[in-house]
Amino acid sequence: MEEQKHILDTLKQVRAAVQSKDYIKIKQLSNKFVHHCSIQQDADVISVAVIIYSLSKMLEREDYKREKNWKQFYNDYLRTIKNMITALENNNHEKFHNEIKLNRKLLSKLSGNLKENMKDVFNRAKINKASKIYEHGISMEKTAKILGITLWELAEYSGRTGVGNVNLGVTMQLNDRIKLAEEIFR
Amino acid sequence: MRYLIFDAGPLINFSMNGLLDSLEKLKQNFKGEFLITKEVKKEIIDHPKTVKRFELGAIRLEQLYNKGVFKLADINPEEVDELRRLRDNFMQKANSMFKTKKRDVHLLDKGECAALALSTILKRKTKQDAPLVIDERTTRILCENPGNLKKLMEKKLHTSIKANVASYDLFKGFKIIRSTELAYIIHKKGLFKLDHPKAFEAIVYGLKFKGCSISEKEVQALGKM
Repeated sequence: MEEQKHILDTLKQVRAAVQSKDYIKIKQLSNKFVHHCSIQQDADVISVAVIIYSLSKMLEREDYKREKNWKQFYNDYLRTIKNMITALENNNHEKFHNEIKLNRKLLSKLSGNLKENMKDVFNRAKINKASKIYEHGISMEKTAKILGITLWELAEYSGRTGVGNVNLGVTMQLNDRIKLAEEIFR
Repeated sequence: MRYLIFDAGPLINFSMNGLLDSLEKLKQNFKGEFLITKEVKKEIIDHPKTVKRFELGAIRLEQLYNKGVFKLADINPEEVDELRRLRDNFMQKANSMFKTKKRDVHLLDKGECAALALSTILKRKTKQDAPLVIDERTTRILCENPGNLKKLMEKKLHTSIKANVASYDLFKGFKIIRSTELAYIIHKKGLFKLDHPKAFEAIVYGLKFKGCSISEKEVQALGKM
């Protein structure tokens, strides 16, 4: 119940942020939502995080808005979010799940540049969320599997973040690890 | 016979940085075998061969695999069963080690746990450590200082975590190095092709930026060694 409330609250805040054109807030909401994803590791919860983050990235880019089918796509996208909110308010989990599926299917209706660009936005959103979940302490393989991306994509992206610089990640003195390596190759 | 077990990360890392030839030379200097599990083979060769962006890297790794530079562990059917049992036990214990107010936080997956299981079996068989090469952070912290992982998760998740401390012991005693320590050995043996005063430091940064969990301080210290 508390989990459902959290998703609902987040989606409502996203809706409000869209109305007030506060795109930074949308990204912040998506990042905050990652705590939830790391614990839940549930496909629908993770999809919501990807949907929110993708929305923030879409809105950042003015050139997408000039594409022919943008308006229709964007309105449909917001409609699925609105329907997710209604479904959760009515405790209708099946409807909520279906709206997530419908949101994913919106891409298949697109063509040309917009389709390629949106595919790219979604894929990048998945990798971004995966990297954040990995930062939260979930292993790289587990995280890649949860988001349906390859270890190659995650390794490449997370290497550019500060994940290696966290003090708690240093669990052995470098000299000792070097000695261990030297012993192995003695 | 000595064994060194590779997780997927370091092999992906060496491939993405174009350093696989040095790994092959290192193998010739090693009095033993470089091993992978079938889960790792899937992650580094079978699956990425179907993804255009990573196909080349996977083919390069497949070539080394076909040459026998690294291979699947040669274990008998009973040991395969045992590996599966141990793998599942590592997974179950790791994935119930930390709990938020409501649920267990699942930390590890099959590949990482299979590598730990293989190391356990080979250590028992050979009566000597079967070290692991792991770049990702979680498995390494879990083995070397699980208390740190608990603290990290509490900090990141903004919630208190209850630890099943009794499970800590199961993960103790694994010997772990990263791709950066492998690079150090390759460098000291003069096996890197690149001849430039800054080449080694650049290689270590390359490995960091492709997923090896090493701090900036460690990179700088390693560069001076």
